[in-house]
Amino acid sequence: MEDFLYFFSFQDSSIAFIVLGITILGIGSAYVGTFSFLDNKALLGDAISHSVLPGICLGFLLAGEKNPYYIVGGAIVSGSAATFLTSWLKSNTKLSEDSIIATVLSTFFGLGIVLLTVIQKTGNPEMAGLNQFIFGNAIGILEEDLWVYGGLSLIIILSLSLLMKEFSLLVFNQEFGRAIGYPMDFIRLVFNILMILSVVIGIQAIGVVLMAALLITPGAAARFWTDRLSTLLILAGLFAVISGITGTYISFVLPKMPTGPWVVVCLSFLALISFLFAPKKGILFRYISRRKYLRKTHRDHVLKSLFKATEEGKKGLNKNELLSLYPHHKKETLGSISYLLKHNQLNNIQGLIELSESGRTEAKRIVRLHRLWESYLNEYMNIAPDHVHDSAEKLEHLITPELEELLDNRLRYPKLDPHQENIPRDHDDI
Amino acid sequence: MIKQVENPLLEIHDLTVSYDQSPVLWNIDFSLPEGKLIGILGPNGAGKSTLIKAIMGLVEPTGGYVKIFNKDLDQVRNRISYVPQRESVDWNFPASVLDVVMMGTYGRLGLFKRPGKKEKDLAFSSLEKVGMTAFAKRQISELSGGQQQRVFIARALAQEADLYLMDEPFAGVDMATETAIFQLLQEMTKEGKTVIVVHHDIHSAMTYFEWIIMLNLHLVASGPKSDVVNEDLLRKTYGGKLNLLTKVTEIIRQQEFNPLKN
Repeated sequence: MEDFLYFFSFQDSSIAFIVLGITILGIGSAYVGTFSFLDNKALLGDAISHSVLPGICLGFLLAGEKNPYYIVGGAIVSGSAATFLTSWLKSNTKLSEDSIIATVLSTFFGLGIVLLTVIQKTGNPEMAGLNQFIFGNAIGILEEDLWVYGGLSLIIILSLSLLMKEFSLLVFNQEFGRAIGYPMDFIRLVFNILMILSVVIGIQAIGVVLMAALLITPGAAARFWTDRLSTLLILAGLFAVISGITGTYISFVLPKMPTGPWVVVCLSFLALISFLFAPKKGILFRYISRRKYLRKTHRDHVLKSLFKATEEGKKGLNKNELLSLYPHHKKETLGSISYLLKHNQLNNIQGLIELSESGRTEAKRIVRLHRLWESYLNEYMNIAPDHVHDSAEKLEHLITPELEELLDNRLRYPKLDPHQENIPRDHDDI
Repeated sequence: MIKQVENPLLEIHDLTVSYDQSPVLWNIDFSLPEGKLIGILGPNGAGKSTLIKAIMGLVEPTGGYVKIFNKDLDQVRNRISYVPQRESVDWNFPASVLDVVMMGTYGRLGLFKRPGKKEKDLAFSSLEKVGMTAFAKRQISELSGGQQQRVFIARALAQEADLYLMDEPFAGVDMATETAIFQLLQEMTKEGKTVIVVHHDIHSAMTYFEWIIMLNLHLVASGPKSDVVNEDLLRKTYGGKLNLLTKVTEIIRQQEFNPLKN
């Protein structure tokens, strides 16, 4: 608790600085990453982030110490080399994009690990900090580093805001952009540079192995909540910032803990919540709406059975007769009956369940839709009368009043369905 | 039957286009008059879309050239509007109908500038012409195929061009929408605009187009409807792939390099 207060009250100015750095870093990478996620190029971010490792090592070898300019410079060079190699291989060989990315990623990362081992053998006392670039350590960021990483993040955020409409065009409809004379290849190049920079800003805080997660996961998680680009970008930025600060806090409390994995754990947790609970697209929401729909269809079936009973001259059915119609759905049937009784669509008259006025209208509607659809299938799609029932059993719950009108029009308000059963209408009873 | 015109709006000279070094268009050479509703007809794989893309500079020709308004494409881009095939974009992209129509104003707006009130008004009036005003705020992922197509046409209208090139704007569109769009296109040509449409249905083509281009890897015909629509030319266009041409393409494809490249 003491740690928590110390960390979040920002009384330590270096912590305040680091949190600020993580915040703009998170926004910047989530911003770029969301576009690349929408562009279905999520893997490219992973390839770039693994590929910056040899550059980091070379930068270290050249400077002889952990100098942020050399390291960032090296990372940019090897990230660019990997990006260029990927697109060159794509246009000059017949290899698929994912195999190219997998090859480039592992080659560069392997090379990076070899260099790292070489550096460790030299016994340079500065090299201890180099391991941090693999899984990241936000607390290890010095003020000098912050200026570099923070400055780059700001450049990314500004460029993206300035070129928002161009990048949207690039992702949504590149050909159209070319047709109106925009330099789409140049815009793609700028976007790739921003991708590389957004990986580079995270190497110290998050580490090269997991940086791709900070690029892609925020956008992917935010996509569950919204269909608007502006909201999507804001949400993605928010997810990245929350995870970034959480990861940093854990590295602060447990100094041996790398930051990157905790950022990713936190991000994955947010993604899981989005996947489960987001309205409309979350699986819980979809599960509930499906259950609701199934309950409604079962109620429709109960109403339909009662209507058919009246067609046979009965006034209604008792509970056991109804239950025996749906032998495997006892619970649902009982639920439907009590729901319909409560909503005054059914009356229970001394144990005999009968349709009420409104229940009868509703039941008629369902039977009518069922039989209209059967007629349509039979007449317009040439489907035999004994093959039309199953489809009608599903469509009767879906056909809208407009469609009903259209069906009636097409079929010229038929009186009988293909089984020679009456198609019930509201004015029949009068 | 290829009818050349004086002072053409569009002139295509000996155009040859290849994909992965297989030629898909052979020596296309025709010219088009101004202010007409023009249809490009041909079977699947005849190179109709490729022709439009070559006119728009989206594919690099292996030979020949295109002149529009007697100028190079880059000098007159602002006067040309292009409607790509509906399936060529990802409709799950998070954008509203208005956002997409607004893209039609980007050409004049130029890089870096953000669209303002003027662009928004233009987008709205374009939406009105295709009867989609009520959908302005709707997400594009929620639209039906016909509505998506109308959004694309509205975007083209927002370009305020003189020449319109439309790639299969009637694919996946219901009858009522097709009629409405054709009427809109006819009104546009009455105002002096030229509309070139890649189309697959011969029957509606006969009703609406004034000038017809028939294509099957090579140019079969180009001229006023009454001159080019006859059984002989239709058979040449739709009567299966040209056996010899396909064999030549096969030989070219099997080379390790592109033998047609200059």
